[in-house]
Order: sequence, then structure tokens, then C-alpha cells
Amino acid sequence: MNQNESLKIVIVGHVDHGKSTLIGRLFYDTGSIPEVRYNEIAATCKAQGRAFEFAYLMDALEEERDQNITIDTASTFFKTAQRPYVIIDAPGHKQFLKNMITGAASADAAILLVDGAEGVREQTRRHAYVLSLLGIRQVVVAINKLDMVNYDRNRFQKVENDIRAFLHSVNIVPSYVVPISARDGENIAKRQGKVPWYKGPTILEALDTFGNVRGDAGAPLRLPVQDVYTWDGKRIYAGRVETGQVNKGDEIIFLPSGKLTTVKTIEKWQETDLSLAGAGECVGITTEDELFVERGEVISRRKRKPVKARKIRASIFWLADRPFQAGKTYTIKLGTAEAQATATAIEERLDSSTLEVTERYAAELLPSEVGKVLFTLKNDIAADLYSDNIRLGRFVIEDGLLIGGGGIIQGLTDESGTSAQRICLNEHLIIGDEGSSVDLAGEGGGIEFDVSTEFLDYLGQGNRVLFRLRDLTQLEPVAHLAFEHDLVFRFSRAAEGINIILYKRGVLDEVVDDVDDGTYI
Amino acid sequence: MYDHLDELEAQSIYIFREAYRKFENLAMLYSIGKDSTTMIHLARKAFFGRIPFPLVHIDTTYKYPEMIAYRDRMAREWGAELIVGRNEEAVTSGMGPERGRLVCCEKLKSEGLTRIIEQKQFNGLFLGIRRDEEGSRAKERVFSPRDKNFEWAYKDQPPELWDQFNTSFEPGTHIRIHPILHWTELNIWEYIQREKIEICGLYFAQNGKRFRSLGCMPCTTPIDSGATTLTEIIEELKTLKDPERAGRAQDQENAYAMQKLRAKGYM
Repeated sequence: MNQNESLKIVIVGHVDHGKSTLIGRLFYDTGSIPEVRYNEIAATCKAQGRAFEFAYLMDALEEERDQNITIDTASTFFKTAQRPYVIIDAPGHKQFLKNMITGAASADAAILLVDGAEGVREQTRRHAYVLSLLGIRQVVVAINKLDMVNYDRNRFQKVENDIRAFLHSVNIVPSYVVPISARDGENIAKRQGKVPWYKGPTILEALDTFGNVRGDAGAPLRLPVQDVYTWDGKRIYAGRVETGQVNKGDEIIFLPSGKLTTVKTIEKWQETDLSLAGAGECVGITTEDELFVERGEVISRRKRKPVKARKIRASIFWLADRPFQAGKTYTIKLGTAEAQATATAIEERLDSSTLEVTERYAAELLPSEVGKVLFTLKNDIAADLYSDNIRLGRFVIEDGLLIGGGGIIQGLTDESGTSAQRICLNEHLIIGDEGSSVDLAGEGGGIEFDVSTEFLDYLGQGNRVLFRLRDLTQLEPVAHLAFEHDLVFRFSRAAEGINIILYKRGVLDEVVDDVDDGTYI
Repeated sequence: MYDHLDELEAQSIYIFREAYRKFENLAMLYSIGKDSTTMIHLARKAFFGRIPFPLVHIDTTYKYPEMIAYRDRMAREWGAELIVGRNEEAVTSGMGPERGRLVCCEKLKSEGLTRIIEQKQFNGLFLGIRRDEEGSRAKERVFSPRDKNFEWAYKDQPPELWDQFNTSFEPGTHIRIHPILHWTELNIWEYIQREKIEICGLYFAQNGKRFRSLGCMPCTTPIDSGATTLTEIIEELKTLKDPERAGRAQDQENAYAMQKLRAKGYM
């Protein structure tokens, strides 16, 4: 990656496990503390009659220093030979979870800090779970304060086993587990030789292996319309390419409205004749057809488009002071879209530290709690499953005037109550020289088929149709189709990917059996 | 190629467009410095060359004449509407740093600002502060609410995540919007160089001195420097150990000077 491109690191963990001290040490050992700043802190500490406190680098507020805690998240900057870093300090106290999440949500990677003497605690687990909810996959675990336990290898091993087991349960595989002492400076920027039994990287070496999180160009196009400007006689759709790439001349669809058109120009100030824009770029789009589309619509292509959602099932975390209530209507903000959403049911209420389901069909979620919630929307919204597209698969929930929580989408249903995409088999059937096929590899989310008599007649004439699947989640609807219409259903291993052949029972069994590539189900 | 400056730029453009969509009565605070000049350039990128809101400069009457001349010339060049705010009452009463630097800042800058906000009924205000400038700014949100008394509830800020911002507010309050909060001093200079943004001449060395941060004459000290070009400034920055605002006397008054000033509406 680019040497100048900074990596954002959030440091999380239980209160008093040494986050601010670790940050101070990172700065000190990389020579990143300005002399004046160092002197200011030294003077403040001296006035308070205490030893030099690294934590004051981040804890800039008077209340934070007086009470010896981090209240709000802060960003600071340091550099290694490799590249610049932005360090986000996140408060460890439970009451400041909203600040922790604010800090962590923008991070590329995380350091999860565990006190080697105290071991895994409540906020260690809660923060790890939050990292998982926020989709942060680059995680290094630092087992700190090993100076307090004489750098005992067995103690380290015990804590490592505990934290690995918990992380496993929230689908995080740590990239490294590093034994450190922030106070002594062991394994932060250098090795002091206190843990000869450890052969892995220091914290800085571990961080230098991480990459910047950016979607690849092959991802499906998602360009939420942020605003519409009618300037210089043009109608410009302004927005940021969240994933994928948009090209001049592309056929595009706006969702949820379903309007189709072609990209006429891609616009930026003082740049002419742009042919494409990739993920992360803020652009303006003009279209061939005069459309009247508003903020909140999402530009994509006809294939691999987002779902027009009416019902959303999501894991949410709640941060406001007032409880989140079942039956109440909230505003959700997803991409640039907004919708009134009624919390139809809180299907599960979880302890965010132990992840145990504490209640099913609960009446409310308290501050700092998490749960699985079903929302019913008053209007359609273009959305993706979080597993398909992080950017369009997450949303925030407004409570009154302010953001009260966030959620990641695990299930989507459209207005008719069917799950996700309806695939019209007539439209998707491609009849070619090599045989007939239906390509589902480009369809994200759940699918359901519209079966026409023409399609069934085509099979009835003895034709077979190859279905190309994106993944095994599409197996079920295809199997359903076969069952309902009395079709034979078998895998084909002749081509790349997951392929299934469907044909009418009895008509061509013997012919297909000649092709020895199938596996009957 | 999409590099780190493109990414910073895109983030700023996104913030500008969110604010423009959500607020009826916006203004941008223009301090004449490199940061707010960069911010204006980013606004023009967001709005295809336009600056669709007025620029507000709070005149303390203590600014360098070069700054004022530069301000007026640039505003004409950009075709921007420039509003100059001044706390006339304090100016006539002879307010100055000899009555206490923090008192002076509060009267001439914070109060000068609150007056113009009240008078013009602005509900969204762009400010060119950055997280790497000093500790209390590092704690800021991108969209940061201020209450009826213009106070910042820094101990209880609402969450802000995934580029979803708090854009709703009660009548009488306003939101501070910080489009370049995530930039560093070095980023700003690299971007000025790349985009060929014209900045105030005081940033370049004359007679072995140059300003690293611009402010009021009595409270701003230049640094020793021979840097007369952008390339030289960028090279020099990589070697400097002092913080950027070391030459700004109001910051050094006491350990929490900025926090206290900013809680009461200072920039």
C-alpha cells in the first residue's frame, strides 16, 4: 500500500488494562511526542505530585486527568518507518460505550488489550463483540502488564487461551497475540529481552503488516444519491461510490424506484471527460434520460442489485440513555436513505459481555445492550445483507434528535413478504449453443423464482438447464423449484463454481446419465 | 491513482454535501489561515466550483494587514459572499490581550462569533479545525452540537459512526461542522502543494522568520525558518518538534486553556 496512506488503529479493552499507557509508549518509542507537549505533561504531573503519566497525551480534558479515566475517544498521530498511523483511543468504562463505538467504527484495525494479571474481563468481551459487530477483522491482542507477573509464560498462555476462545465465539481470529509491558516498553516498538520464549512480532511490527480496508473494484456497484443539484442546466446526482465502480455509458438502475437509464457523464470540479469512478470517490453523475430521482436512491446495475427492503432483521447495539422499545417507531438512516421503522419485535436480548440470550421477545433494550430486532419499514429502502456488502448492510437508529444506536443487517424482506430478489426465469434463461443456463452468480441476498409455463414447457420438451450458483445459500430455492415442479436436480462438476442441472424426470434421464459428471441428490 | 490525499478529500466532500443537504442556513467561518483556505477549496470541489454559503470572518482588529488584504482579494476571486463580524462593543471599550489573553479571545472571537450567528440565524457553521492541532479538538465530532448558550457538552457527546451524522437539532441551537477534522498539518500542506492553492504570504519565510499558524498580532509569534517555498515548508515540517500552535500565546496560558475557551464557543 501507499507509504503515505495512514492506517487507523483503535485501541480497546477493559478499563485500567492500560490503553492510554500503551498509546503513550507507542508515541514515546517512535519519537512522536513533541518536546513541548512532553514538557507540558511533565509540568502538569509535577503539579499534581505524580510520576510522568503517558495517559495524559490522549486524556486531554481536565476531567479525564483529574478522574484518571478516558471519557471520550480521541485521535492522535504517529509514524513508523513504514507509514503514518492514526491512533484512536476508546474509553473502557461501560458508561462511555457510545464513545468507544464512535471511535472504533472508523478503524481499519484494532489492538485488543488484556491485563495479563487480571485476565479477560467484562469490557474485554464486550469490546471484542463490538469489534465483531463493526466488522473489524484485523485484530492484534496485546497481553499487557506482564511485568506484574514476572513475564510468566504460563500466565500468558492461560490468558491467550481464554481470549482466543472468546474471540472464536464472535468470529474473530486474532492476527497476533503479543506479550507486552506498556510500562517497561517490552514488545511495543522494541524487544527488551524479557520474553525470550516469544518469537512473534512486536506490536509495531504487527501493525505494519495490516492493510487499509477498501473494497475491491470487482464488488457490485453501490452509489447512494446524496443530493441532486440542478446547476448549469444540468441535473447532477451527487454521491460517493461506496463499492464497485461506475463507468460512463453504464446501464444503471435506481433503487428502490426501479428507474433505468444510462450514465451520460461522470463529473468532478475542474476535471473533464472522466470515464470511471471507483470505490471511495465522491462524484456527480448525469444520465441520458431525464429522471426525477431523490436522495436516498441507490445507483447499481441490473445484475447484483441491492434488495428493495420492507422488513429488516438486524443485530443492533443501543447507546442512548432511554431504552430501545419494542413497538416504537424510529428513524433509521442507511447510506443516504432514511425510513420510519417500527421495531416489530426484539427477538433476542443479549448480554453484550457474555453473549448469552437473556430474554426472547423482550420489551426493551437498555443502554449498552445488544439484541436481534425485526424492523418493519414504512417505505422501501435499498439495502444489502451485511455479509454481502458492509456499506449498505448497516444503519444507525435515531432516537429523537440524536443517533441512539446502530445495526447490521442479517435478513431482508421486500414489500410482498417474500425474501429478497424475485428471479423471473424466462428473463434469466439464456439459450446458447453450449446448452441453456440461468446465471445466479451475480445475485446477492436471498432469491425466489417466478416460474412461467414457457419455462416449464421448455423443460418438458426435454431441454436441460444449468443453474450457476453464487454460493450454497442459493441451493435451497433451486431445490424448492425442482421439488415443486417434479424436476431432477443434480450437481454438475464440469465447470468452475457450483452448478446444478435441472431437467424433467423421465424425458432425458438416459441421455444425461451418459455425462458422467453428476452427483444425484 | 487514488492516494491518501484523494481519500481525505473525498471524506471532506462527503461531509460538505451532507451538511448542505441538511441545513437551511449555513455559513463558513473563514480565519484566513491555510486550513480554512483549504476548506474553501474543498467546498468548491464539493459544489462544482461554487461556494453556496457566505464566509464569515471574525475581525478582532488585531490581524496583520497582509491577512486582511489577502482575505478581500481572495473573496473577490472566488466570487464568495464575505460577512465580517466584529464585537463592536468590546472593540470600542478597548479590549486587548493586556486585559488577559483568554478574556480577550472570549470577547473578541467567541462573542464576536455568537453575535453574528444570532444576528444571521445560522444553524450550521463550517469550521476548519483539525484533530491533530491540540487535545480538546482531538475529541471533536464531525457534526458537533452547540446548545442555546453556544456551549459544547464535551462530556456527553452523541455517537457518530459510519458517516451518519447528527443533523437534527432544537431551535436556537446550532451545529458546528468540521469538514477537515481528520486531516493533519502535513496533509494540509501536501494538498496545498498538489492543488496549487494560493495561501497568505505570511506563511513563507521573510528575513529568517515565517508564521506556522496565523492569528492576532499581539499573540502570534513566527518561527525561525528559511522556508520560502511549499516544498521547503513540507521538508521543514518533517523535522519540527514543537507543536503547530506553539506560537499562539492563548494556548499556552494554562493546561486547559483551549478546552475552557472551546466549551464556551471558541473555534
